[in-house]
Amino acid sequence: MEHWWYTLPLRLKSILRGRRVEQELDEELQFHLEHKIEEGVASGLSPKQARYAAMRAMDGLEQQKEQIRDTRRIHWLTDFVDDVRYAIRSLRHTAGLTAFVAITLALGIGMTAGTFSMVDALIFRPYPVSQPDDVVTLVSTTQDSSFDQLSYREYLDIRDKTNSYQGVIANAAMEAVGFSAEPGATPRIKGGMMVSGNYFRVLGVEPRIGRGFREDEDQVPGRDAVVVLGPNFWKHEFASDPAVLGRTVRLNGKEFTVIGVAPETFPGMLIFGHPDFYMPLAMARVFSTNTQKNFFEDRDDRELAVRGRLKPGTTLQQAQNEIAVLAQNFEHEYPKLNRGRGAAVHTQFEMRTRGDDVNWKFGVIFVTLGLAVLLVACTNVAGLLLSRARSRKREIAVRLAIGAGRFRLVRLLLTESLILASLGGLLGVAVGYGVVAWFQSQQNVVFMTDLPLAIPFRMDTRVLIASLALSLLSALACGLVPALQSSRTDLVNGLKSADVDLPGRKRLWGRNVLVVAQVSTSLMLLTAAFLMVRGFQHSMLDGTGFAKDHLLMTGFDPRLMQYNPAQTKQFYKLLAERIREAPGVRSETLTQNVPLGTDDFDLDSVAFVPNGFQMPRDRESYTSPMNTVDEGYFETMGISILRGRGFRDSDSSEAPRVAVVNEQFAKHYWPGDDAVGKHIRLENSAGTPVEIVGVAQTIKFHNTFEKPMDLVYMPLAQHPVARMVLLLRSDGDPLQLVQSVKDVVRTLDANMPMLHTMTYEDYYLNKAVKGPGIAVNLVATMGAVGMVLAIAGLYGVVAYNVSRRTREIGIRMALGATSSDVLRLVMGKGLLLVAIGAAVGIVMGFGVEQLMNSMLFNAGGVDIAAYIIVVPSMFLVTMLAAYIPARRASQIEPTQALRYE
Amino acid sequence: MSKPNDLVQGTLDLLLLKILGLEPLHGWAISLRLRSISGDVLQVSEGSLYPALHKLEQEGWITAEWKQTENNRRAKFYSITRLGKRQLEAEAANWRRLSAAISQVIQISEA
Repeated sequence: MEHWWYTLPLRLKSILRGRRVEQELDEELQFHLEHKIEEGVASGLSPKQARYAAMRAMDGLEQQKEQIRDTRRIHWLTDFVDDVRYAIRSLRHTAGLTAFVAITLALGIGMTAGTFSMVDALIFRPYPVSQPDDVVTLVSTTQDSSFDQLSYREYLDIRDKTNSYQGVIANAAMEAVGFSAEPGATPRIKGGMMVSGNYFRVLGVEPRIGRGFREDEDQVPGRDAVVVLGPNFWKHEFASDPAVLGRTVRLNGKEFTVIGVAPETFPGMLIFGHPDFYMPLAMARVFSTNTQKNFFEDRDDRELAVRGRLKPGTTLQQAQNEIAVLAQNFEHEYPKLNRGRGAAVHTQFEMRTRGDDVNWKFGVIFVTLGLAVLLVACTNVAGLLLSRARSRKREIAVRLAIGAGRFRLVRLLLTESLILASLGGLLGVAVGYGVVAWFQSQQNVVFMTDLPLAIPFRMDTRVLIASLALSLLSALACGLVPALQSSRTDLVNGLKSADVDLPGRKRLWGRNVLVVAQVSTSLMLLTAAFLMVRGFQHSMLDGTGFAKDHLLMTGFDPRLMQYNPAQTKQFYKLLAERIREAPGVRSETLTQNVPLGTDDFDLDSVAFVPNGFQMPRDRESYTSPMNTVDEGYFETMGISILRGRGFRDSDSSEAPRVAVVNEQFAKHYWPGDDAVGKHIRLENSAGTPVEIVGVAQTIKFHNTFEKPMDLVYMPLAQHPVARMVLLLRSDGDPLQLVQSVKDVVRTLDANMPMLHTMTYEDYYLNKAVKGPGIAVNLVATMGAVGMVLAIAGLYGVVAYNVSRRTREIGIRMALGATSSDVLRLVMGKGLLLVAIGAAVGIVMGFGVEQLMNSMLFNAGGVDIAAYIIVVPSMFLVTMLAAYIPARRASQIEPTQALRYE
Repeated sequence: MSKPNDLVQGTLDLLLLKILGLEPLHGWAISLRLRSISGDVLQVSEGSLYPALHKLEQEGWITAEWKQTENNRRAKFYSITRLGKRQLEAEAANWRRLSAAISQVIQISEA
């Protein structure tokens, strides 16, 4: 440290006041010289002799100075500045080439930066809290799922019985809450999140105004109706009015007092969702979604995300061991509920890259493809720089001849590519902003919901740093090989002739590798694009298994109006009865989820044991996705019942329990046997028996590219659910029915909100066509960019080869070669390169297909058709790129060619 | 590159630090002092004096200041820093060890 105290001012002075330093050096040496001369004169020499002697004693003034300058250690800088100046000058000479290179790099860097912004938001961005690295997530684990949430009871036990944490917090999922500021106003849907009383304190979030929850506000169920607003909601709903504190608002019809507003810096802990407000967990009765279970008592009502802030010095492993022991205790105490259930602690990174989440996988695939575009761009630029270096051979030879070191020369050339890459990087950031803006513009397509969800991709510091790193990397990637090659220039030949190719086979090697890399990478990109398009197309052509036209959908959630289960049942009964009478309604149904209308939050599932099944020792039940529907569902949606029957009015709450399963389910559990008439028992082998009365056709339920999966249908009468969607099949335009529905709802409850009213076809288009279309567009764009760059690169290389061999071609033609001979000569090489590139590209394509299949489409095998189309078209296009310059070569006049140069 | 005449490599640094440890001096005075205290035994080429001084300065062992000389001329005066004193001790100790070892070797060969 002390070293720098003395030396840093010196270095800075040398850099910033270089002239002054030189003057002082002059003065110092002059001072010495004068004394030396005086001494000489005093000893009897003539002034001239004395001067001569003095100079000799000092070994020459200029040499001295040069030696002293070397001690200043800022050579690297002054040299660099010189290099930059020189590089800019020489790049300006070839402005067209420079622009082309910069744009090429910009595309590559921009594509990568834009897609990286996605991965950044999905994986790397830390929680917006103080010391986010200390915050870990606790999960419940079973054989089937490694990331189960925890129940309220379990949360309390963990909070009170662990020592690894400064605090343990819990929150439920963000859910739709009916919000009204004034009494009597129709509630609007907002996103609310229930959190534990210590939530803000443990996360270290200081409210913008007011206060966070107190621990005691989370202790007595139903007592403390207080709410903390999210920053955005406060801004938009209350115009950032501080007087909001103490105000009363209605959430799901119940009065809550506003006690605080979260700060701008805390938009919430979710990646996509930014809750409008937070309520204490103790108010769960107002918000709880599950009518079958008691939130406060049932240990298996696992609805909470639990996080802890590790104490300083506590390792993840210690926390892990502690929670494992606690999970064993749970298993002993509650063998029925917790059999085979463990627990684990995960970091934020582990949670975000969990295997059952598809978003980040898309991100990783996109970044991989973005990097592939960058690779093509870099090889392209490297090729151009190689050509440039060749035409500068003489200049380089001169530099070497007058004593430039090889390292120094490489540095100069690398500086040039660094400047090119910086230009490309700057433009690339602009392209990246474009990509992000485009993502943002797709927001409404992606989220068809009333909840406050937003696409979190943005160009933040991490993304910008990554772009910078990419620019540097690409400078090295595309500059190093040309620089090393040209510094190896053979002096004698380099000086002698202008640009004649000497036995330089070795030198072409690098360029050929570039072409092969380019062709293969862009082939891989195209394959990926093609697979993506075909994957989605396939899923469309396969059909979804149900009708989509002439359907109107609108959602209801009577809990928003504080209906109890009996009122809810009555509401739906009357709604169905009355809407049936409306003109233009051909049929109607109520369903918990419309097909393809599930997201992770409201996908219901059922635990069951097929009757007579011997369960494995370590497993109590199987689980399957479930949907609750009424009698009209299968008919209205056009889903055929393959065996048995659908639901009937007679399947009432008093009648024996029944269910319909899909064909996949039937095949899964009773292969080669008829499932109709079989029973399943709910929860475990001693649970309520449910008879399977019908087998329905398997439909796409979650998304269009899913593989067939199990699905159980329950009748609404026997399995009441609060939040339902009304689907109406119309004779004419479905939207004409909207007024009829409004009229009917008004006769039932004037304030009941209607959620997401739209035609099912629109919904389907957004959800299943346009949403995935975003991914397809992105990948297709990258494929196209990669291909254009590859074509440009190939064209450049062949054209360059031709121009270099012009003289040779002239001689050949003078000796009697025909133009087709020449064409073959020039093309042959290009063909070979493309062929090798294609072979490598096919192998890479297989790799990418494996990756995409395993990550996205759950499909195996190889899509031969993709290669049959992509490979020959790639071949054709690249051949064309080689043909044009080759043809030009074949038409050269021999006389002209011989005079060339 | 000129070499220090008759001077073991690296000892010039030691000598300069030692001299400047006594009092701040300018380059010419240093060269006079070198000659006088070593009694003309150690011939330091003036050509290597200034590069050595600048090197020591860049290392942070000595620091320079422009001041008036007794005959009212501006000159660059060098003085030793704390870092330089430490370096001097280290090099002096090193030198003593080395010279002791060498004289021992010489005695052995005489015996």
